[in-house]
Amino acid sequence: MMAIASTDTAIRSGRVTRTFLYLVLLLFALFYLLPFAIMVMNSMKPLDEITGGNMMAFPTDWTLEPWRKAWSEAQVGVDATGLRPYFYNSLIMAIPAVMLSTFFGALNGYVLTKWQFRGHNIVFGLLLFSCFIPFQIVLIPMARMLGIFGLAGSTGGLILVHFVYGIGFTTLYFRNYYAAFPTELIRAAQIDGAGFFRIFWRILLPSSGPIIAVSFIWQFTNIWNDFLFGASFADFSSQPMTVALNNLVQSSTGVKEYNVHFAGAIYAAIPTLLVYIVAGRYFVRGLMAGSVKG
Amino acid sequence: MADTAQVDLRTRLQNWLPKLVLAPSFAMVLLFVYGFIAFTVYLSFTDSRILPSYGWVGLENYEKLFRLRHWKIAVSNLAVFAILYIGISSLIGLMLAIFLDQKIRIEGALRTVYLYPMALSFIVTGTAWKWLLDPGIGLEHTMHLWGWTTFSFDWIKNSDYAIYTVVLAAVWQSSGFAMAMFLAGLRGIDNEILKAAQMDGASNWQLYRRIIIPQLRPAFLSAFVILSHLAIKSYDLVIALTGGGPGRATELPATFMYSYTFTRNQMGIGASSAVIMLITIAAIMVPYLYAELKEKK
Amino acid sequence: MGFLDIRNATKAYGSVQVLHEVDITVEEGEFLVLVGPSGCGKSTLLNMIAGLEDITSGEISIKGQPMNGVHPSKRNIAMVFQSYALYPNMTVGQNITFGLEMHGVPKTKRDQAMADVAKLLQIEPLLARKPGQLSGGQRQRVAMGRALVRNPDVFLFDEPLSNLDAKLRVDMRTEIKKLHQKLGTTIVYVTHDQIEAMTLSTRIAVMNGGYVQQLGTPKEIYDNPANLFVATFMGSPSMNLIDVTLRVEGNSVFADTTDAKGARISLPINASVNGLDGKNAILGLRPEALTDVDGSDARATQIAHVPNEVTVTEPAGSDTFVTTSFGGKDCVARMRADADAKPGERVTFAFNMDKAVLFDPETEARIA
Repeated sequence: MMAIASTDTAIRSGRVTRTFLYLVLLLFALFYLLPFAIMVMNSMKPLDEITGGNMMAFPTDWTLEPWRKAWSEAQVGVDATGLRPYFYNSLIMAIPAVMLSTFFGALNGYVLTKWQFRGHNIVFGLLLFSCFIPFQIVLIPMARMLGIFGLAGSTGGLILVHFVYGIGFTTLYFRNYYAAFPTELIRAAQIDGAGFFRIFWRILLPSSGPIIAVSFIWQFTNIWNDFLFGASFADFSSQPMTVALNNLVQSSTGVKEYNVHFAGAIYAAIPTLLVYIVAGRYFVRGLMAGSVKG
Repeated sequence: MADTAQVDLRTRLQNWLPKLVLAPSFAMVLLFVYGFIAFTVYLSFTDSRILPSYGWVGLENYEKLFRLRHWKIAVSNLAVFAILYIGISSLIGLMLAIFLDQKIRIEGALRTVYLYPMALSFIVTGTAWKWLLDPGIGLEHTMHLWGWTTFSFDWIKNSDYAIYTVVLAAVWQSSGFAMAMFLAGLRGIDNEILKAAQMDGASNWQLYRRIIIPQLRPAFLSAFVILSHLAIKSYDLVIALTGGGPGRATELPATFMYSYTFTRNQMGIGASSAVIMLITIAAIMVPYLYAELKEKK
Repeated sequence: MGFLDIRNATKAYGSVQVLHEVDITVEEGEFLVLVGPSGCGKSTLLNMIAGLEDITSGEISIKGQPMNGVHPSKRNIAMVFQSYALYPNMTVGQNITFGLEMHGVPKTKRDQAMADVAKLLQIEPLLARKPGQLSGGQRQRVAMGRALVRNPDVFLFDEPLSNLDAKLRVDMRTEIKKLHQKLGTTIVYVTHDQIEAMTLSTRIAVMNGGYVQQLGTPKEIYDNPANLFVATFMGSPSMNLIDVTLRVEGNSVFADTTDAKGARISLPINASVNGLDGKNAILGLRPEALTDVDGSDARATQIAHVPNEVTVTEPAGSDTFVTTSFGGKDCVARMRADADAKPGERVTFAFNMDKAVLFDPETEARIA
């Protein structure tokens, strides 16, 4: 999801070629759409239509029962609570973690571009590399640490984890964005008598809308979709949606209620899909604003 | 006359503030990333089992690790998975990007469709594909119902082929992302160069092969780095799609590390496998990040 | 002690010294222009005056107060930036009064000051707009308004006109000059454009390689350049440089060179040059001192007439620039618009030797 501006291409092609192009592009669109579409369709069928029927067929007996069941009744782990509490767990976890990491990322980006000091590049390099570590390398000590501070198995612990491991990316985004922000503006504000925080609040932040959107979208998607940390550090009461969904789908007891599984998967997908569809173009635009001038 | 070296209080405070503001993040990253890496590296040299223990055993864990058949399977699976996943995603991404760059009318809509799987959790992707690929109820079953009774597609149940189903689902999820990178690269190419090449008599095919694709080197590099990073970290998708099976057919280092550390109580070996993963990623990321940082300066 | 004193100011980044012992005293009401090619240190010096960069050694003082280490906002200076640096999220009015707000000036006073400045600069209709809605010239005015409203001791201008198109640049240049004459403020102005430097300044500091090459009034700089760099940097088309050999005959000095065909010619030198007989030198002569015979300065005491072959003519409307060759180098003469010169023909060139200057080819310093 990057700089995608429409520009004139110098390339011309014939009618046959163009038909072929459209055909291939539409086939791929089908490839990307079908799995999710079929899942949505089958989530509205009674179970016997799935096990006995054709997955490509429309439901003969439309029903929202699987959706209701997945939300409030399905057996997830020990209790038949449905996915609802876990959905809320994910929200309570994701929102503060997104806000914290975005806020600190913005401040860090501001310092690393406009108040550079000796060694600022080393600090940034260390922050940047932290984005790309395989999280397996921190699982063991993190589990110990959360235990020592009494945060094991709590949503608070997960917020901390996502906040810490999100800072690298948010700093990267804000740094690149602020690097393109004219330094003369900072100097003018200094001469005008504004200090460090005043410049940030009054001059930089009001112009940071696009990159805040990028940071929010990126962080929200990553945190909402995380499975590894949730599976490692949460207990039954604080499990995020992804872990609960996996438990629901993988549970080996009883009949496999595919339609309920699908409805559950769609619940897990809705928040990030909404963010992507509603704010996706801000994501593209924000990344462009950062990169075009830089 | 005042001392020329004297600095007024406000200026001095202003000199310290930026570092103070950066300090908490930096301290956290130092502890939670680099401190933890150090701790895990240390554990990999100890006899830790269910809990960290501090008996130094030298390289024993690494020796054990590389003798384990389980680990060898995980590594060779990763090799197959990474090569196919990176290769196919890049190829599809490049093709879609080039096709989309031909003034396609519905480009915006298509881009959205190609990219949306990136917004999904691997668990959701796994849930959907697990069922699509299930021979008893998914694609194979559907083909049979449609009258193609000899059609057979049971890779997910077949330990020789199951890893390819992981590739399929992973490609479905991230080839759109590769497309976006290549498209951005294509849009960054100076149009006048293309016009000049056309005046020189280059055909469309030559134009792409000789002029455009060579200029996409940075996009190829970014795609390679990001996809390989995703491949090495892959955990959720395998858990949701195959659970590592059938047998150990789709076990990857990430799932190996988790099961050895937390369910098999072999923390020392788990830690050493995590260190190997880190070294592999660092070998790819560090030169790339270093080059990127140098360029930006 | 002057109004703005720069004493022995140096700037180094690590071991790289970008500014070498700069000594400039600016009197109240002066318009000092720092001019030079990019990388000469002029912007660094300006930023040091503003307090945006610290001074490695030496001292800068304003009104007798040492400014080293004083925060930019406490120096009572104002600055106009090359990009104008208008805050994109604020209206023009807010941009202008932001500095006053930061200094705790009450709102009624701020509004009064803003109204005065807006009137002075004729930007009253723009006050409610955002910078993004303004043209280049309007932004320039707002940036000046923001500086003026502070009523500072010293105005700093950092290439303020370089983002404007040619026509607007000339207009704004005049406007800045008018403003200076009207308000009598002290200005330090950085530019790489030597015409801006000549037209605006009361004094010019020509800088290169971190050194002040020459400090003087525009006329001094133009007529009596201290060295080859100043001579060639100032003036357009730039000064003709002819390789000559000096020859002393009794009380007279001659500069010997060749014409386009390689034939020897001799030019009489006004100055007395001791001990330079037989030495090589570079003779500098501005294009307007090399004319056609009818166009030569009637008040000149010594005019040398030398015929030579024309290579190129460039009619520029008011004048015709004629290129020929002396001493193996292209020389440009500024002739009258209707002067009779055609490529390939021989024309008589009139050298106004009153204006000629001599440089040492080794040290590039002025000899005479």
